[in-house]
Amino acid sequence: MNMGKVDAIVVKDLWKTFKLPHEKRNTLFESITGIFDGKQGYEEFEALKDINFTVNKGEAIGIIGENGCGKSTLLKVIANIYRPTKGSVKINGKITPFLELGVGFQPDLTAKENIYIYGAIMGLSDREIDARLEEILDFSGLKRFEDTKLKNFSSGMQVRLAFATAIQTNPEILLMDEVLAVGDMEFQQKCMDVFQRYIKEKKTIVFVSHDLNSVRRFCSKALLLRHGEQVAFGNTNEIIDKYVYGVDVDNGTEDIESEPETCEFNNQNDDNKDKTRWGNKKVEITDVQFIDKFGKDRTMFNSSDTMTIRIKYNVNEAVKDIQIGIAVYSDNDIMCYGTNTYIRGFVVDNAPGSNEINLNIHNLTMMEGKFYLTVAAHCKEHEPYDWRDKQFSFNVVKNGNDVGFFDIPCDWKQ
Amino acid sequence: MNELWDYRHLTLKLAMSEFKLRYKNSVLGFFWSLLEPLMMLIVLYVVFTNLMRVNVEHYQLFLLMGIVSWNLMARGTGMSLNSILGKPSLVQKVYFPREVLVISSCITALLMSLLEFIVFAAFMIFFKVMPSITIIYFPIVLAVEFFMILGISFGLAALNVYFRDVQYIWAVVLQAGFFAAPIIYPISIIPENYVWVIMLNPMTRIIDMLRGSVIYSTVPASGDMIFIIVSALLLLIVGYAIFTKLEPGFAEEM
Repeated sequence: MNMGKVDAIVVKDLWKTFKLPHEKRNTLFESITGIFDGKQGYEEFEALKDINFTVNKGEAIGIIGENGCGKSTLLKVIANIYRPTKGSVKINGKITPFLELGVGFQPDLTAKENIYIYGAIMGLSDREIDARLEEILDFSGLKRFEDTKLKNFSSGMQVRLAFATAIQTNPEILLMDEVLAVGDMEFQQKCMDVFQRYIKEKKTIVFVSHDLNSVRRFCSKALLLRHGEQVAFGNTNEIIDKYVYGVDVDNGTEDIESEPETCEFNNQNDDNKDKTRWGNKKVEITDVQFIDKFGKDRTMFNSSDTMTIRIKYNVNEAVKDIQIGIAVYSDNDIMCYGTNTYIRGFVVDNAPGSNEINLNIHNLTMMEGKFYLTVAAHCKEHEPYDWRDKQFSFNVVKNGNDVGFFDIPCDWKQ
Repeated sequence: MNELWDYRHLTLKLAMSEFKLRYKNSVLGFFWSLLEPLMMLIVLYVVFTNLMRVNVEHYQLFLLMGIVSWNLMARGTGMSLNSILGKPSLVQKVYFPREVLVISSCITALLMSLLEFIVFAAFMIFFKVMPSITIIYFPIVLAVEFFMILGISFGLAALNVYFRDVQYIWAVVLQAGFFAAPIIYPISIIPENYVWVIMLNPMTRIIDMLRGSVIYSTVPASGDMIFIIVSALLLLIVGYAIFTKLEPGFAEEM
């Protein structure tokens, strides 16, 4: 395979299969007796199936996907820790893997000694570390403890020391696996700054994270994996949409089975109906769906996207009026918002039979988290027909770098 | 091989830190490690001079040299056995040639044995036995022993990842080897017809040559020299072949 000068990583037709023995034979004895048993079975688990992508020099790509989709395996294959079962990975440049911080730390040696060992593992010579020792100790804030044995350090201190040392390496290609997820706020900010610096310096970066926000912020391209398969590779925003909404943006088909979350919720609540559902059932709320911007029924949404709450109801008995209301609760039970058709002066169709009503939300202003929804049908005088208290839920994924609970639309001026 | 050379710094660093660790935790750390062979020496010396009546010139030195050079073999292979399996984070979270781990373990063992050889030198002075020019063969034979240990270590370390009982089997082999090699007794007590058997063990000749060059001022026979070099090379080739065959699966198998 030819590698262009601009290619840093070329992954071609990559397959990785793990053998999962039914009975793990770890000893020679078991292996020999195993032959006579005749139980030779093992299952093959395909962790990666036909992965193809190219990372150009100076590009940062994010790998996203659910737990167990093969993100870390892919990173390890790129790092040459696992070997491909089929296909190839071509690397052009020196790889520095940040799969775990503080690999090879010796608890019985001092901080200073460990800096030298860890530095050596990360590819630094003694002379390079001599020159940067002060900087490492300053950055980690551990100058006072340089001659303290590592075992007396807190885990946070160890991570700081490891990170301070690791960033002294001058990587050409950086592999990162969730390392930014450790440490306190201040430390995370430091990590982000370093990350930003690497991006400015045009390092090639492969970044695995569940934090879609960081991926959106740092990576120009993203790779989406699902059950070991490459779903899509390309522009970060498009890929994240695919991940969050589970749809193929190109043809609008749904390629992930929608989670039966609302159903489960109903079943769960059959036991304690009285607590979460009440009313005289003259009007019954039969179903509630959350519709995303692609018209699909989902439970996962990007912050600041649109959402339609589709409420299906059935009029069992003639009633003089129907008011339908909703209330949104955060997962720590704070009521965020509530409205109903009466307040808004909307007249709900009260013809007998089944019907539906949509509430169009133009902008999901909550930043992130899980939200519960109460949907109720009642009359003007508040006599409840059907009250379903916090029986529905949806998740919001952060979209942007602002912090807090909900978004306040604003901009700076001077 | 070229790649390994690039990692020489890391290899030495790991070997040195392991070496330091061995002596770091107790005030007497360094002495404890010497005490073990010395205790063994005393026990064996008392038993074999008084009860078995072994008649060997400078038997104390004969015995100590045997113990120390056998220890190098036992310690080197013993430490290497776990050099891969014992460091899961290094194998599963970063990449460098895995050979580095085995080589650095062998170097640590060599450093520890060098300390014991210094004690041996002190014994020589104490018993007023001065080595002659033949001592120049000592480092050569020691180097051959080192490469032989390295070869065995490559094979064992790799096999131990896949078969965890290799370490127990090897412990038994070492135990038997201690008595099968002429460490506590001279070759001369072996019946004539069986000498060839014991001479098949390269350690027999290595220990014999080390003693000869340092204590008895004898020049190693060229036949013996060729024999140990060829055995070391063979073990290195076979051991390394096993290692390279199994190496790709290390991270998954652990």
